[in-house]
Amino acid sequence: MRTYILQRLLQMIIVMIVVMVASFVIVELPPGDFLTTLREQLTEQNVDPKVIDSTVAMYRERYGLGENWFIRFAKWAWSLMKGDMGYSMQHNRPASDLIGERLSLTLWISVATLVFMFIIAIPIGMLSAIKQYSAWDHAFTFLALLGVSVPSFITALVFLLLSVTMMGATSVAGLFSPEYVTAAWSWAKFVDLLKHVWVILFIVGLGDTASTIRIMRAKMLDTLGEPYIDTARMKGLSSAKIYFRHALRVAINPIISSIGLRFPQIISGSTIVAIVLTLPLIGPLLLDALRGEDVYLACSILVLLTLALIIGNFLADLTLAWLDPRIRLES
Amino acid sequence: MNSAANPDIVLNIHNLQVSFRSIAGTTRAVNGVSLDVKSGEIVGLVGESGCGKSVTIRSIVGLVPSPPAIFEAGEIWLRTRQGLTETLALRKNMRALRQIRGRDVSMIFQEPMRSLHPMMPIGRQITEGILEHEVIDPTEAYERTVEMLDLVGLPNPAGQMNRYAYELSGGMRQRALIALALVCHPQLLLADEPTTALDVTIQAQILDLIKDLRERMHMSVLLITHNMGVVANLADRVSVMYLGKIVETGAVEEVFKEPAHPYTQGLLASMPSLFSEPKTNLQSLRGIVPELAMAPQGCVFADRCPYVMPQCSETPPLVELSAAHSTACWLYTGADTHGPADDSASSVEAAPVPVLGNRNASPGQPQGQPPQPPASDGIARTASDAEETIQLQIEGVALHYPILRGLLRRQVGTVRAVDGVDLTIRQGETLGLVGESGCGKTSVGRLVTRLVDPSAGHIRFRVPGGLENITRIAQKEMKSVRRSMGMVFQDPLSSLNARMNVRNIVGEPLMLHKMARGRKVDDRVGELLELVGLRAGHQSRFPHAFSGGQRQRIAIARALATEPDFLVADEPVSALDVSVQAQILNLLLTLQQRLNLSMLFIAHDIAVVRHVSDRIAVMYLGKIVELGNARDVCSRPVHPYTEALLASIPLPLPGFEASREMPKGDLPDPANPPTGCRFHTRCPYSQPLCAAEEPILRAQDQAGGHLGACHFQDELQLQGVEELGKSLRA
Repeated sequence: MRTYILQRLLQMIIVMIVVMVASFVIVELPPGDFLTTLREQLTEQNVDPKVIDSTVAMYRERYGLGENWFIRFAKWAWSLMKGDMGYSMQHNRPASDLIGERLSLTLWISVATLVFMFIIAIPIGMLSAIKQYSAWDHAFTFLALLGVSVPSFITALVFLLLSVTMMGATSVAGLFSPEYVTAAWSWAKFVDLLKHVWVILFIVGLGDTASTIRIMRAKMLDTLGEPYIDTARMKGLSSAKIYFRHALRVAINPIISSIGLRFPQIISGSTIVAIVLTLPLIGPLLLDALRGEDVYLACSILVLLTLALIIGNFLADLTLAWLDPRIRLES
Repeated sequence: MNSAANPDIVLNIHNLQVSFRSIAGTTRAVNGVSLDVKSGEIVGLVGESGCGKSVTIRSIVGLVPSPPAIFEAGEIWLRTRQGLTETLALRKNMRALRQIRGRDVSMIFQEPMRSLHPMMPIGRQITEGILEHEVIDPTEAYERTVEMLDLVGLPNPAGQMNRYAYELSGGMRQRALIALALVCHPQLLLADEPTTALDVTIQAQILDLIKDLRERMHMSVLLITHNMGVVANLADRVSVMYLGKIVETGAVEEVFKEPAHPYTQGLLASMPSLFSEPKTNLQSLRGIVPELAMAPQGCVFADRCPYVMPQCSETPPLVELSAAHSTACWLYTGADTHGPADDSASSVEAAPVPVLGNRNASPGQPQGQPPQPPASDGIARTASDAEETIQLQIEGVALHYPILRGLLRRQVGTVRAVDGVDLTIRQGETLGLVGESGCGKTSVGRLVTRLVDPSAGHIRFRVPGGLENITRIAQKEMKSVRRSMGMVFQDPLSSLNARMNVRNIVGEPLMLHKMARGRKVDDRVGELLELVGLRAGHQSRFPHAFSGGQRQRIAIARALATEPDFLVADEPVSALDVSVQAQILNLLLTLQQRLNLSMLFIAHDIAVVRHVSDRIAVMYLGKIVELGNARDVCSRPVHPYTEALLASIPLPLPGFEASREMPKGDLPDPANPPTGCRFHTRCPYSQPLCAAEEPILRAQDQAGGHLGACHFQDELQLQGVEELGKSLRA
């Protein structure tokens, strides 16, 4: 087990390095850089060409933009490891300031969505399998297919429309009521967040919850058809013990191993919802940074998301190894 | 319930009728089954797949989900700790059923791997059962589990408690399952094909274990199997089931000695036995088990019965032939019959089996004289060893797989699947290759057809123009060689592409080798289909439209499409029902004779191999341990492993107890084979020399036709089976 963990940690470091290089290269690939954008912006604002030239030259020097990309990467990577994420040239603020709160909120909401998804999907999927072809099963099959097929931004729009027209709400979008948006963190702000967040969880998690219900149902049906379930029945066990102690343990495996993959899905899936509902999440920020060729900001976000993803994957695999002796053996 | 009132009766099934409702309609899977199991008795329920055996015994414990099942009639009385209980009525009463399950009646299943929970330690799975039924201290439950594991013969039982199913071998898993089933001392054990998935030597151990436990634990067993040999070996009484009905019931001795129902006779005659004349046609039942919905009215066996008569359109009555033997057949009603069995039981004794042979060749099967065994005396063999008669020769062929571990995929070991095998197959000869799972027999088949590349050795194969060394030639050149080779695989369904019709499946080799185009392909495919006993007009059908036996015929037609000289048949009948197995074996024998094919026939069942082969090679852990004339190998084995294989086969001879010592333990890990003689860990005759030095394959007799790889083959007097059969019959 120890070698397995060490092996995985080593793999994670390799993945991180590859991702850092790759994201940097990709962001640098398109012709032109931030300075081109800046020059255009300033020209549009009819600034004196001399001032433009001097401003551009200043930026170029400050960030070493004229230099070889490899040197820029090395500078950036080194400072990133020290926790300095560089400077957002678009927003004129340190990247860490911009990322900080949004990232923690994003992670918080993603984890909450995952938990929400499991709490809803696993019992429903199990019950659908146990009561296969019952009214319950048919109803949730219908709802799950609906959930899978409707894009989340449509759900978000419908939700906005309904809450404005039917409930006369004035502040439906956002994570906080207007009075708390800029306020410092407090108990009241947290309570306010809780009031808003379940809607977000529902909208962001709907599609994944629906597909998880389907996976859980299918896997549970497979498991219930296995001979070892007959063995358990023949011991005289109660249905509850058969379903939870024997069947669930096996059926839940693919769902746990999918956590690592769900995580980035939720983050990217929440981007559009975040735009529609104007949520202060990391997705819209990343989109902006990519469009504005804000190299340092974009790369930092990509690297942080990758880090979150591989840590999530690692935890999922550890959970799986802890649950399933067969995986322990292979490692 | 007069019979249930008998205190001796543990289980009484009376007139059970179970139907299944589906979109296609309602089919009656169990149609009026009545069955008794007495205290301490082992009752066998035999029949081919789909005859309703499993539904019958699963109904006893409420394991048949309803819907889709409908229990139309019948009663199932089970003696429980609460007294006699009618369990059929309990199927909606989970609480009552749960008290019976595991405590009064237990069940073991066919696939030991899948029947144990994959993620729960063995010990916990067993103690869970005890704790469910008894108010008992967990440490006491633990101790009882260890005792039980010891009783079923698991070595180091306390050490097994924390192991998982995948860490145990197949035989050990089945032992653990038996311990699980018996830990609460039920009076009745239901065993659903308990040894079908196991190797023969392991099967023999498990059968012995069940017999032994029956005595020790004073329980009864209801055993389901398709293998008549297992029934003869284990059961006291037997019921033969066909299409949801019991056609014959009786004491095992009587049923095997004087099978009354034509279906029972057919089942017994279909089995290739170790006493039959090799390379002769088996007396198979005609046709196949029909779909339940297509079952004939009246006697369900009427459409396959050689004695069918007008009365058979009515349901036959149950006829008592003796106190302990009854059958449902019009032949024995004393009414006006025409047929070999006139009106008394005495005509049944007149060996009805051979009579069956005249009428029962399957409809499409090529008729003709049974093939004659080729002359195989020593002198002829020496002469025929000449180069020009060799079809295939392999020398020192090996197949090694590296075991890779760790981050850098270092090679930490080698699986020696095939480890230096020499074989020669002459033109027109069938060489049988026999061994247990993991011995490398399938790998040999794949090596000679170059489906895998050998790690060492030479393969020479006769192509038009002489023997060619095909060991290292490119796959491109191999294509022309393959024209002279055909291959038939074990599973006829998965070896036929489900999206191709029969014309394309059988015609593909013709087109690939540019032997025919367009209309000519259709004509040739038609010929081939008729050759294997199918209709030429079925070319446009897809594989799923055929039964298992017909699919295997299609696979044979495909293998023969390019008119090869050589056929590799890898377990061609082991996935088939007994009656169909006999038809396919007959077909292979006839075709081989007619087309002068050479054949490598690979199987795990030495009786089947003996039946079709001229010579037999016995394989153990990647090595040939014995090679010789088929009958010699079976009647005078020189290697203890061959003797063990022969002794392990359950013979259809009730009351016969194998006097020889059975091989101990499990097959060793092929990645880490024992030193010296690979069989020494299991050999009853093992000496210190065996562990130290590896024996070579050497000639046993002067003629040099019988080879063995045992240090003591000249001293040991091993027992074959043929003489044994003769002495028993006499």
